[in-house]
Amino acid sequence: MSMNLEREKAVLPGSQITDTKSLNLSKLLFSATVISMLLSLYFIFIFAEEETTMHAAQKIFYFHVSSAWLAFMAFFVTFVFSILFLIKRKRIFDTYAYVSAEIGVVFTIIVLTTGPIWAKSAWNTWWVWEPRLITTLILFFIYIAYIMIRQMDGVWDKKARLAAVFGIIGFADVPIVFFAIRWWQTKFHPIVFGEGPSQKGGGIEDTMLVALLITITAFTILYSYLLQKGVSFENMRIKVERYKEKLREELEK
Amino acid sequence: MNLFRTALFLAKKDLYSELKTKQILTTQIIFAGLVIVVFSFAFDPANNTTKAVIPGVIWVIIVFAGILGLNRSFISEQRNDTMQGLLVAPMEAASIYLGKFLANFAMMLVVEIVSIPFLFLLFDFKFLGSFPYFILVIFLGSFGFIAIGTFLAALAANSKSSEMLLPLLLFPITTPILIGVVQATKIILTNVEKLSSAIAWIQLVTAYDVIFFVVCFLLIDYVLEV
Amino acid sequence: MNYEYMLGAYSVAWVVIFAYMFIIGKRHEKLKKEIEFLKQLDK
Repeated sequence: MSMNLEREKAVLPGSQITDTKSLNLSKLLFSATVISMLLSLYFIFIFAEEETTMHAAQKIFYFHVSSAWLAFMAFFVTFVFSILFLIKRKRIFDTYAYVSAEIGVVFTIIVLTTGPIWAKSAWNTWWVWEPRLITTLILFFIYIAYIMIRQMDGVWDKKARLAAVFGIIGFADVPIVFFAIRWWQTKFHPIVFGEGPSQKGGGIEDTMLVALLITITAFTILYSYLLQKGVSFENMRIKVERYKEKLREELEK
Repeated sequence: MNLFRTALFLAKKDLYSELKTKQILTTQIIFAGLVIVVFSFAFDPANNTTKAVIPGVIWVIIVFAGILGLNRSFISEQRNDTMQGLLVAPMEAASIYLGKFLANFAMMLVVEIVSIPFLFLLFDFKFLGSFPYFILVIFLGSFGFIAIGTFLAALAANSKSSEMLLPLLLFPITTPILIGVVQATKIILTNVEKLSSAIAWIQLVTAYDVIFFVVCFLLIDYVLEV
Repeated sequence: MNYEYMLGAYSVAWVVIFAYMFIIGKRHEKLKKEIEFLKQLDK
């Protein structure tokens, strides 16, 4: 059953890149991002205590964990919108899925770069065969594969449909990879590094917890800002494409 | 059941057309042979550490030879637009998936039967492990790999650069299978005492196979839409 | 102690974020130029 491409009258989007309502929202999100980031940096560097064994390098933890949290959440958003797209077949769902995946790649890159830097400072090795790092690496490849599908040649609805299917199985894969590797580690390599690169086995300090939560909030606001910007840009781009199609049709008459 | 019968028909058709030219099978076997020879140069067969490498090598040849075969399974349907013919035929998309899967799996088994003894030969590997478990692991690993591979090949065939896209799609999704299966093979081939851990890995791979086989079955309709 | 690691990690994170925003900015510029061009065609 082929898709009906939505027809629209040949209206050229105005020279402003977005209309005023979404422009206001964009500005609001941007200021919220800046404020929350500055706040989180204050909390990280001034409010939270310095850890005794790893000293300053432990502060990497805040950005590293927040980015990881956002990377997984972004892909979860892609997963949800992929399902929605397969059911409802509205283009906006595919747009949200795609933009979220792109932002997820950015956060995954942050995780995969800050991770080894931290590992080097804490355990003097660049890479650790740790469940979370490996899962993030696999997640990175799944995102890249998703984006490559979306950049295939062809009609948008076919690309969107195939990408949505991959988004679903890709996301289903992530928890399995995590548990498989964790199982591997507990059975065959006793966890050498304790509960992982956060704290000495026990709970987390109060001040650190507050700083972490604020940083996660700041990152979430950054994610929303990037998502909103990306989606409105994508919508604009789609309108321009449709306009060009109309022009081509008229030229051929 | 009608689903299974039409799938068998499709599998037979694929296998017959393959047996006529034997093109893909020969490519796969030659490729596996080349990899084995290169590895035998790269690693000293007398050395003990080489023994540790062998499980990995087995799965490297299976994966790469498998990708060669998977690519062609849907690309061949693009000539003369036979894909449309399959979709219009009174069979469900699931039978197409099942049929292609059976054909690919059969070919994979042939490649394995030929290349793995050759590997053991060249590396002078004394088979000390337990044979039935080894066969089981190879079977389960290939099953999962080909199941996911057939599904993703159907997906990737829609693109012009499908040969590049398929490995990219395949790698992240089959990672758990590969980890489990390499670990299990290692245990079975080298230290058989830890058989219980190998069984644990086998259970993981089986669960993964089942989950993803069902998921692919359910989602194949969306991939093979007209 | 370990300040260099911390500075390294944070600068990498910020570089990535700013690089991404820069890329988005370039995309916006390109689209704007295209819109201007199409508007000009219309005249």
